[in-house]
Amino acid sequence: MSGKGIRLTGAALTVLGLLGLILVYWLSFFWVSTEVSQGIAQRIFYVHVPAAWTSFLAFGIAAFTSGMYLWLRDERLDRAALAAAEGGMVFATIMLLTGPLWGKIAWGTYWTWDPRLTSTLLLWFIFLGYFMVRTGTENPEKGKRFAAVVAIIGALDIPFIHLSVVWFRTLHPDPVVLKPERPTLPADMLTLLLVSLGVFTMLFMGLFLLRYALENLRAEAQARSREATA
Amino acid sequence: MIEYLGQVRAIVWKDLLLEARTRERVVAMGAFAVLTGVLFNYSIDRTVVRPQDIGAGLIWMTIVFGGLLGVGRTFHLEAQDAALQGVLMSPAPKDAVFLAKVISNFVLLYIVSLMIVAVFMLFFGLELGSSAATLGLVLALGVLGFVALATLFAAVSAGTRMGETLLPILIFPLLIPMIIYGAGATSRLLAGRPATEVADNIRMLAAFALAAVAAGAVLFRFVVED
Repeated sequence: MSGKGIRLTGAALTVLGLLGLILVYWLSFFWVSTEVSQGIAQRIFYVHVPAAWTSFLAFGIAAFTSGMYLWLRDERLDRAALAAAEGGMVFATIMLLTGPLWGKIAWGTYWTWDPRLTSTLLLWFIFLGYFMVRTGTENPEKGKRFAAVVAIIGALDIPFIHLSVVWFRTLHPDPVVLKPERPTLPADMLTLLLVSLGVFTMLFMGLFLLRYALENLRAEAQARSREATA
Repeated sequence: MIEYLGQVRAIVWKDLLLEARTRERVVAMGAFAVLTGVLFNYSIDRTVVRPQDIGAGLIWMTIVFGGLLGVGRTFHLEAQDAALQGVLMSPAPKDAVFLAKVISNFVLLYIVSLMIVAVFMLFFGLELGSSAATLGLVLALGVLGFVALATLFAAVSAGTRMGETLLPILIFPLLIPMIIYGAGATSRLLAGRPATEVADNIRMLAAFALAAVAAGAVLFRFVVED
């Protein structure tokens, strides 16, 4: 895809994602049935869960493209990793903000050492380190390699972190969608969850492509200014 | 293979000899451990908690902080007169250099961690009973996992402007499994529970240490390349 094609696709997906977000909000406020035990507060679910899934997708892409970057040394892979990591930070932050709000009402406390909440918090900090090593080096090439190493180790460590915090304690509701049997979520809630998941993924992909295109343009501008001074 | 082991051994020997002559890191980490024990003692109100109850957690936090102090300086001495460049340019592969650094750091930190346990037992009246060997194994596996991650990220943070300040931010999130399984096992052993009760912890600590060493050995070359 050409640079312009990426920008247009990114812009289109972002606009569609934002429109979809309006739909998701409308559906979750006015259409979906209210959950019996938790009441209205449960509606934050349609933002919280898709944000969490999207952040894991984003960090997965960041770790994967980081590994490919170390292998192939194609600058575009590093730019993709950066774009995905930034998107992941945004959605992980949404997850971390909505989780405690929901938890306060559902569990009676803002913070619990629930495995999924804890894993996401730690993932957030791992990627904070990703940005700190990137910007903290004199030589940008070095920063890219360091950041890639942080992303890969982070991705490898997450299963261990998750296993260990599950082992430590759990309060979180059991999975309600991906289960061996049929999903236990009522049909309308499941529909909205899947719609919201699609919308969040679309929004992320749009932002990701725009951010990636911006990094490409920035690299091009730098290359041109180097040529001009040479 | 024999050549590889010879290269690893040469670097380990060099590092340990350097440490034996200067005693910089072991003395710093040892003094840190004892002083931390003293500070912890005065930070605990004994009318509220018994030191035995939080002893295991304090031991592991002291290992982590003391370890940061020592392992964070792995590349410091060598970086000063570009000796690290010499080691990296030697025919030894980068993973051999990494494994050697992990081994020498492990030896130092394991000695210090045994000392930390001894100091805390002395200060807080903790009892070990018959589980000393099991605790030794738990400490060894935990320290190995810690040292592998800390050595890799010591090389990363040494290459940044922020230097050692960055090291805890990079490795603390990664250390959760080591803390949970290590401190958990230590708590139980100090409470006199049988060694069979911590078998799962030991298995997970071993898996974590193995994964950390393997990942570090593969990724180290990307950190130190120029």
